[in-house]
Formats: sequence, C-alpha cells, structure tokens
Amino acid sequence: MRSYWIRRAIGAAAVLLLVIAANFFLFRIMPGDVVSSIVDPRFSPEAKERMREVFGLDQPLLRQFVIYVRRMLTFDFGISFLSQRPIWDELRSRVPNTIALLGSALLISSALGTWLGVQAARKRGGITEKVVLISGSISFSFPSFFVQLVLLLFLAYTLPVFPLRGSVSIPVPQGAIDRMLDYIWHLLLPAGSLVLLGFGSWAIYVRNLMVKTLGEDFILLARAKGFSESRVLWNHAFRSALPPILTIFLLALPGIVSGAVITETVFSLHGVGKYLLDSIMGHDYPAAGAAFYILGLLTIISNLAADAAYAIADPRIKVGRRAGM
Amino acid sequence: MIKIPRWSFITFFLILVIAVFAPMGLSRSPQETVAKPFAPPAWTGGDAPPPFSAVLSPSQGIVVLDWEWEAPENISIKGELVFEGYSVSKLVWTTPDGRTFTLASFQGSGKWPLDLDGRDITFKTALGIPPLANALPLLFPSRGEHRVSIEGDIPSGGSLNLTLPGGKWGLMGTDQRGRDVLALFIMGIRVSLLVGISATLLASFFGLSIGLTSGYLGGVVDSLVMRTVDVLLSIPVLPILMVIVGIWGKGLWQLVIILGLFSWMGTARTVRSLALSLRESCYVENLRSIGASPWYILYRHLLPEAMPVLLATISLGVPGAILAEAGLSFLGLSDPRVISWGRMLHEAHGFGAFTAGAWWLIIPPGIGISIICLVFLDMGRSIEEMADPRLKGSLRQ
Amino acid sequence: MIAVRNLSVTYRTAARSVQAVTDVSLNLPKGSITAIVGESGGGKSSLVYGILRLLPPQAKVSGSIIYDGTDILSAKESWLRDFRWKKAALVTQGAMNSLTPVLTVGYQIGEVLRIRLGLSRKEADKRTAELLGMTNLSPEYAKRYPHELSGGQKQRVVIAMAVACSPELLIADEPTSALDVITQAEVAATLLDMVREKGMGLLLVSHDLPLAASLCENLAVMHKGRIVETGPPEKILGSPSHPHTKELLSAFSLIGGPG
Repeated sequence: MRSYWIRRAIGAAAVLLLVIAANFFLFRIMPGDVVSSIVDPRFSPEAKERMREVFGLDQPLLRQFVIYVRRMLTFDFGISFLSQRPIWDELRSRVPNTIALLGSALLISSALGTWLGVQAARKRGGITEKVVLISGSISFSFPSFFVQLVLLLFLAYTLPVFPLRGSVSIPVPQGAIDRMLDYIWHLLLPAGSLVLLGFGSWAIYVRNLMVKTLGEDFILLARAKGFSESRVLWNHAFRSALPPILTIFLLALPGIVSGAVITETVFSLHGVGKYLLDSIMGHDYPAAGAAFYILGLLTIISNLAADAAYAIADPRIKVGRRAGM
Repeated sequence: MIKIPRWSFITFFLILVIAVFAPMGLSRSPQETVAKPFAPPAWTGGDAPPPFSAVLSPSQGIVVLDWEWEAPENISIKGELVFEGYSVSKLVWTTPDGRTFTLASFQGSGKWPLDLDGRDITFKTALGIPPLANALPLLFPSRGEHRVSIEGDIPSGGSLNLTLPGGKWGLMGTDQRGRDVLALFIMGIRVSLLVGISATLLASFFGLSIGLTSGYLGGVVDSLVMRTVDVLLSIPVLPILMVIVGIWGKGLWQLVIILGLFSWMGTARTVRSLALSLRESCYVENLRSIGASPWYILYRHLLPEAMPVLLATISLGVPGAILAEAGLSFLGLSDPRVISWGRMLHEAHGFGAFTAGAWWLIIPPGIGISIICLVFLDMGRSIEEMADPRLKGSLRQ
Repeated sequence: MIAVRNLSVTYRTAARSVQAVTDVSLNLPKGSITAIVGESGGGKSSLVYGILRLLPPQAKVSGSIIYDGTDILSAKESWLRDFRWKKAALVTQGAMNSLTPVLTVGYQIGEVLRIRLGLSRKEADKRTAELLGMTNLSPEYAKRYPHELSGGQKQRVVIAMAVACSPELLIADEPTSALDVITQAEVAATLLDMVREKGMGLLLVSHDLPLAASLCENLAVMHKGRIVETGPPEKILGSPSHPHTKELLSAFSLIGGPG
C-alpha cells in the first residue's frame, strides 16, 4: 500500500515538474529578448532593469529555474501585462468556475455513462446498447465545439432557454439562492454539452468491460447462488470491472480538461481556460503560463483522486506484500 | 473475385478528388463578396431577393426588373460605354410609380467609364439625398417594374454590368463578409486533409522510431521512454498546443510540426508492445542466432511486421489531428488568411453569426469535420480487420 | 429427487449450431452420489448447468428436468431463485475464477448466508468461520481476497460456500482437475466428508474415470452428448461395454491409474 502511494506521488511530482519546466522553457525560447516575455514591454528601461533583478534574469539558468519553481509553488505568478494586476488575483476567481464545470460534467457523464454501459452489457442487442453505440461514435468524431455551437444556436438563440454567454447574469441577481440558481442556469448548457459529448464513449468502455466480466466464472456462480440479477450485476460484475473503469477515467482526464478550455471559450465562461486563451491572444505571457500551470495542477489533483479511488476499488493494490503467501 | 471496398474508402477518394480539383473550378476567389453579409442559402424560404445581374449595351439599352421583394442591400453599375462623336447621354432609373432619377450623365465623345455603388456619397448626392441616408429605399419604393435605361444618344460600343447583391445566396449562403460559404467550405477540405494527414504521418514516424527502438532495446531506455509517454499522456495536450502556437506563430506548417510532436505517444506504445512480442518470438531468436545485426532485424523483419498495425494507427490517428487543428483554429489560433473549417467556426462564433441566426455558417464546417473523421475511423478499422480478421464485427475501443 | 427426461441442448450461433446434449435421461435420487464422466466437450457441463438453468441464452433446450413435480426448465424466475443454492448448489473449478476477485472470501460466504438464509451480519460471520473450519481453513482466511489464496484453498472456499445453505444436491463440475495430485486427494476427501456428514446428494462431473468411480455410487458415461453406459462403478469398471468407456479406462491405466 505504501509503495503504491510512493510511486503515485513520484509520478504526480514528475508531471508537475514537467509542467513547470515546460512553462519555464517555452516562454524562454521565444524569439527576441527574454525580458519581453516576462516583463511588460511598456515598462521604462529602469523598471525593466529592476524586474530583471526581481526575476533573477541576470543569474544562471538553473538558479532562475529554482526561483521559478518556488514562485509557481507559492502561486506567485507576477503581474498581468493586460490588466496590470497580480495574476493570481485574477485566476483565483476563475478556478472555482472551472472546477464546477469540470466536476459536474465528469460526475454526471460518468454516472450516466456507467449506468447505460451496464444496462447495455446486460441486454445485448437491446435498445440501450444501440443508443450507447451511436452516442459513442458521435462523441468520437464530432468536434466538441461544433456540437456546443449548435446547442448554443438552437437553445440559447433560436429558443432562448439558456443564456448566450457568461457565468452569471448582469446585473447579478440579489439573494444567495437566486444567485445560485442563476449560476446553475448558466452552467447547464456548458456542462450539459460536455455530458452529452462524454457519456457515449464512457458507456461504450463500461459496456465492453462489463461484457467481458459477465462472461467470467464467478458471475455464473453468483447466478447459481440465486442472487437477484441486480446483485449479480452490480455487487459482483460491476465491482470487479471498477478498477479498469477507473484506469480509463484516468486516461480520459487530460482530454476532458482540454474540452473544458474549448467549452469555456464557446460559452464565454469566466474560467481558467478562457483566461489562457485571452492571455495568449493578448501576448500576456506570464498570465498564459500561470493559467497553463493551474490547468496542469487541476489535472494532477484529479489524477491523484482517481488513484485513491483505484486503491479502494482494487484489493490487489492494498496488500502487495502479503500476496506472495 | 473483385471485393467491393468499404464505403469509407470510396468516400475518402471522393473527398480527395473534391479537395484537389474543386477549388480550381471556382469561378472567383472564395475571399470575394458575392452577396449581402449573412445571406441565407437560396433554397430557404423567406422574403429576400436572389442576386440579380444584367448587362446594358448599345443593343440592349434598357433593363427591366420585376422586383417582388424589399429593397436590395446595394446596387452597383460598372463598366464602360463608348460614344463616337459628340454625344449627350444619361443613365436613368425609373420606379414603378413613374418617378425618374438620373444616376449619371455624359457629355462629350469617346469612353464613358462608370463605377456606381449605392453606398458611395457621390452616388447619393447625385440622387439629392444626405450622405448618411440609404439610397436603396428611394430607388426601390415599392414592388413592381423598375427600369434602368440609357437615354439620349445611343453609344456605339462597350457595356455596363448592373448587379444587385441577393438577400440569399447559393447552396450555403454567405458569411459575415458576404463571402460564399460553399466556396469557403470546399477550400476548407484541403486544410483539414493536409494538416490531418501530414501531422499524423509525422507523429507516426516519431512513434514508430521511438516505439521500435524502445521495444527492441528494452531495459533502461525502454522504461525511460515509457515513463515519458505516461507523463505526456497525463497532461492535457490542448493547453500546451495553445501556448506553443501562441509563442511560435500560427502558420500551417508550424501547426503540423507541433501536432506531430505531441501525438506520437499512442503509436509508440502500440509499436513497442508489438516489437516486444516479436523480439521474444522464435524467428527473431533464430535470426539473432545466425548472426543478423539488430538493425537488420529491426528494418527487415520488425518493420514489415508492424506495417499493417501502423497503417491502421495512422488512419485512426488522423481524426485526432483534424480535431486538434479544428480546435485550435476555432480558438482563433490559426493563420487568418488560411481558410479552414475550424477558422470558419471561429469567425461564425466571433463575428455575430448567432445574432444573425446564421446556422448555415455552423452546420457545414461541423458536419464536414465529422464526416472526414468518421471516414478515417472506418478506414482504420477496416485496415485493422484486414490485418487481424479476428477483430471483424467486434467493437474495438 | 431430480429427474432429467429427454434433455437436448443445442447451441446456436450465427454461423452454425452444435448439439451438445442429445436425448439424455437421468435420475438423481435424494442423497445419492452420481458421477458423470466423459471426455471434455462431451456435453457433461451442458447437462449439469441445465439442472440449475444456467445455460447461456443462445442455448436451445428441450426435454424436462423435474424437481418435486416442477419442471426447472419452465419454472418461474422466483421459484428458480429459491431453488438455486438452497436445493442445488454448485462447486466449480475454484482454482480458476470462481470467486469475485474484489470481495473478501468472508464477504462472499457471508453474502450467501445473509441474502439466502436471512442471517444477520453477526450470525453470518460466525457461521462463515464454522464453514471455513469444516473445510479445514482457519477462520482468519475470511479477511483474505481470492488472489491471496492458493488453488486448493480457493477450492475449499468454493466448497464451503456451496454447503452454506445445506442443499439437497451438490453439483461439482471438475472440482479437482485444476489442482495438483496431493491437493486433489485432500479436496476430494473434504468434499466427500461434507456430503456424507450432511446427507447431501452429489453430482460429480469429471473426466477422471478412476477418481469418479472411487467416489460414486452410480456412474454415467457420456460420449458425444449421449449417455452411453450407466450403472454401479464396480460393474462398469469390471466389464465396460461401450468402446468409449474402455478408451477412458485405458487412458488412465496407461499413466498408472488403479486399473
């Protein structure tokens, strides 16, 4: 058990370091003066010189990198070129929105996909199986933003059921409950579209794993025990298929984060992904680097959460040492 | 016996033909304005005029328009008339209620070049209306018969082209700049195919080299490569691509290289496991025992063995690259001069297609991307089935 | 008593259909020990899984299997669920994959007790320990997962699970064939002890004719989906009448069986 966590922690640290290193070097191999990618080009020469010192740009590259890592780990991202405000102040308000979008989309699509996948595996050749197969191939080949644009066009413009853009109404409604409802109303279409695009492939994976598991001997034995079909299906088949399902969840995570960036752009949400795009478009490199780092961090944290779930779901991890007996 | 190829191969061939030849068949540059902005497709209903054009010439001195719609967006008359000897002539507009306007007049001899545009201030002053007013409602006060005629002396040569941009256009309407969406759509196939295929080829080349080397050498190299693959696969790729494109520039070939650099991991994994299993196989063992060099084994035996798998991987990888290109273009991270489907969706999203309700700007590029992706997915699957008939009918994930 | 009457089982796939069992009739009196032997693929498993109605959907079954006046093959789902495990329980090749890999052994035995016998969690735990003890496993094995057990231990767990509801009939499908020779003998002894102690009937399916003959009171030889010879084991071993029986016998005497 302990060695499993050590391995996972080292893996997470490696990814984190890679993200930071990518950030560090990408913005330094740009054409032109290094300072121009880190310090606002509109600053006076004296101010630039001072920034050089603050960022340690006159020091050796390795030393610069150490300073950079420390700053990243303490969320000290510097000042945005565009807004002239500390970047972390701007990002802080966006992180919850991105987490809300990612979290709700992930939870709903995995729950819906799992349920449909299990039903499809139970009744081969039924309607559920057809729905799963069709929605799966749709989510494999339709660009997410296309589906979202169509939804936006028909459900926000033609039939104005949902808002066209943004995370909150302007003006913001009074009262906590109203504000909450307004927030959910704005989140419904973005998160819903991610669910729509995600549950199909999810269901196909679950179905394939369940079909395989349902053919195992222990399922036959569970049926022979006179258990109800749902007990056989969930307590034995699904429990056994859970570890590989979680593995797929892990593999799908980065793609979902990428999807969130596009979704935030389509719906103009006040999130980290939209901030990343706006910063890149405005050549605001420190801000872009910070947004990229935050997205990487979100991925790493969800990775660790999935690892923890895996350790609970699969007893073969917990024991390790005793298994040799 | 001739086997009928799968639908996807035929569709792919058709798409390829369209991508290569159709842009040559376009009569005008796709960048050219053909109708009013956001003109819906011609086959839709609604009370919008189709585009209209006519020629005034010495033999055809009058054009009659049976106008059954609201005033058009604009009017333009371009061309040149030639007069022999001293002549007095004018261009007259007659509305259904009998009012007449002199659009332009000529006195003298020789060439009379004309370039009238309904939005020009000179045109408006000639009609006697303020510069900011709209001339068209004046010229088209009601439905009925409108005329344009050359009155006075008859010219001896030349001609004038009268065009009214339609409120509807072609098969797919127009975009926010009045460009033909069909022409843009056809141009977009090229970019998708070009980027999709070349980026995947590049990625497969990387993946093949890395996978073969890693699988064949094994040991430290192998575990190092595989850890790198693991790490790269656990980082969201799109943000990296966005950052790199933002820094390095938005050119098409830069995009191909960047996509290639970040999508070799899957191929490397597949090829590596294949190489591993082959390395342990008897015939490679035999080759080694008779003294074949590692490189000989690698390129004469492992590579051909990996070929069908690789072909399928390429075909299955193209949709990923196409979707990535489309995604980046949609985000606005592509060369604005290059027409691509992602770019079309970006412009639709950014330049008010929604407020115009212009679904024809969104549906064609989106469907186009999906069809190309489905075609490559199906081709990849059928190549896989040919290489390994056991997969037939199964659902490969 | 369970009576199999004119049972036929055909597997239908898109490409072809295979007849696994052809017109088999068999009586299983209460408390008797019957063995079915034959080469693998001879339809033994299809026959015994038919008794629990556990054949896959693509199997087409005709004939009848009567228990207490009810035809198992056409019985209602609720009757069938009650019949399974309480009247007839199954011992599969435990060394293979008969235990759910992610649940502890104790949970899996206790689950049967709680769900089928309505025992409380506490009672079930106590009874689980007893059952494990009866199969010569220490009660602390209840906390273990299947992958932590050896093949023989897993087989014992499967037996403990099968006798949990004290069924009238124990169906054992090749219960020892995946084990090494010494463990085989131990597990066979445990199985026989349980059956004798509780007065259960046993339907043993095996390709090992000498082993089956040494355990059973009644022997049926199956070949290509048909029962070709039945009778007391002494009689069949002494004067085998069907060529397939002779084949099975000679196969074992060649490698030093008791023949």
